[in-house]
Amino acid sequence: MRQLTAAFEWQSRAVVGRHLRVYLKNWHTSFLPPVLEPITLLLAFGLGLGAYMARGIEWHGRDVGYMDYVAPGMLAYATFMTAVFQSLFGAFIRMRYQRTWEGQLTTQIDLRHVVWGEILWAALLTTSYVAIVSLVLSACQALGLIHLDLGVLPVVIPIVFVSACAFSALGLCFTALVPTIDHMNLPIFLVVLPMGFVSATYFPLGHPVMAAISTVNPLYHLAEAVRGLLLGAGGGVHFAGLAILVSAMLAVLVPLDMRLLRKRVLGD
Amino acid sequence: MARMPALLEAVGLVKRLGGRLVVDGVDLVCHAGQVLGLLGPNGAGKTTTLRMLYGFLTADAGVIRFDGADVARDVGSFKRQLGVCTQEDTFDGDFTVRENLTIAASYFRPRPEHVPHRVDELLERFSLTTYAGDKPEALSGGFRRRLMIARALVHRPRLLFLDEPTTGLDPQARVAVWDLVNGLRAAGLGIVLTTHYMDEAERLSDVLTVLAQGKVVAHGTPKSVLGDMLGEHVVVLEPDSVSAAAVGPWLETHGLGQPLAVLGAWHLPLSAEQLADFARAFPALRYEVRPPNLDDLFLKLALAPCAS
Repeated sequence: MRQLTAAFEWQSRAVVGRHLRVYLKNWHTSFLPPVLEPITLLLAFGLGLGAYMARGIEWHGRDVGYMDYVAPGMLAYATFMTAVFQSLFGAFIRMRYQRTWEGQLTTQIDLRHVVWGEILWAALLTTSYVAIVSLVLSACQALGLIHLDLGVLPVVIPIVFVSACAFSALGLCFTALVPTIDHMNLPIFLVVLPMGFVSATYFPLGHPVMAAISTVNPLYHLAEAVRGLLLGAGGGVHFAGLAILVSAMLAVLVPLDMRLLRKRVLGD
Repeated sequence: MARMPALLEAVGLVKRLGGRLVVDGVDLVCHAGQVLGLLGPNGAGKTTTLRMLYGFLTADAGVIRFDGADVARDVGSFKRQLGVCTQEDTFDGDFTVRENLTIAASYFRPRPEHVPHRVDELLERFSLTTYAGDKPEALSGGFRRRLMIARALVHRPRLLFLDEPTTGLDPQARVAVWDLVNGLRAAGLGIVLTTHYMDEAERLSDVLTVLAQGKVVAHGTPKSVLGDMLGEHVVVLEPDSVSAAAVGPWLETHGLGQPLAVLGAWHLPLSAEQLADFARAFPALRYEVRPPNLDDLFLKLALAPCAS
């Protein structure tokens, strides 16, 4: 239980504070990716691929414009990718190359706080990215490119934060396991990208096998829940699926992360 | 004279790593205003012992007390009193020298008082003021170690762990670190030091705890440890002379085991009585007699770890 309650202790906040200070020092370069990425994806998927789908696509029995379909998926995808990549590469670099963790562990910070600090920071960063993507979507809405109920975005933000915590815990698990940064390709190609593809973020899952697999994919439930909110269709079953999967991930992966990282960092 | 309080006391520390017994019942004591040198050859269990003492690792058995209280009851409060300078540089490369000290202060509760003033004070004391705005990787090895020690002191700890603080430094930088350590001892800090430099251990340590194969094989002042483990004299001779051929059997007869071979020479630690016997037994042999030092002890432990 202490492994989970450590999230609320001051040491975890101190670790987040450290990461925040670094981010604010480099804000001008850190700010660009979340702005450029959705614009690029909207252009590629929305205007590019969407041009071939002028009639839109069918989503839960209703016709939806492809841009309207893809925009909520983009929020979910940004949540997943930002959280996972931050806890994969960012955390790995701090653990292995910068030895930031070792320095922190010589203080009152314990490993469980380092782990929660990484998870909470990845979630915070992800939430800020999604907020920026939301601003870009608002601009697209103002230009008439998309037609979504953006008034529900304040509801989406906390969902994004909690989901990002779970995705980050997944990323940290790989951080604990991969021997070098070159081996990051393995979890990326074997787990992260397949999860991204089987998620209904950018295209609907028509094949029954894909649809069946997607039911255990938290990203799928996140995408569908956010889409349901932004398209004014609710999304209750996906909220339930997301809540169950995210809770299970946090309950299992956070203690596992701590166990694996204790072995790796402390040799214990 | 009233006995100084035992700032740190470890009793019966045991640690297994990967199924191997690395530390096997280690006891040690460090008082305020004292430097405790923790010595031993590679694999003796020094770093594991140190890591247990500063809370990196949990002991499988044994007790660690700080000011007489079991630290397991409140590890957080214990760690508030510790400063740790690890063997490797672990400063935060994303921050400048000054910011490294400031950010380190944010990792302690109760928060250190007057942090900006404390940081200025440490920068001044460790001659880092000129580099305050630089990134640590821009510093020379000696100044990096200064930064590591300064960072370990930012929250005014009472006990400082220095894990091989001068490894890789040039002689001038080593002397500068020694001066700092002496100053910290004078200020009343308890210091636990590991080093591979025997001259450093002799100069800085008030007491030594010597480990071999995870066990304490000697404890006391440097002089008493040397006397206990090596005797009062070391005879150095070239083993290729004809008369030296009889030395091996003589050592065996006197229960002294095999001679320590260093760069082709034999080093024989002997007590005064043994030296007198040796001189009588080999009147024609040419050899040098000198007092023992910690290098001899280190070699003895490294070459024959079970000798004690």
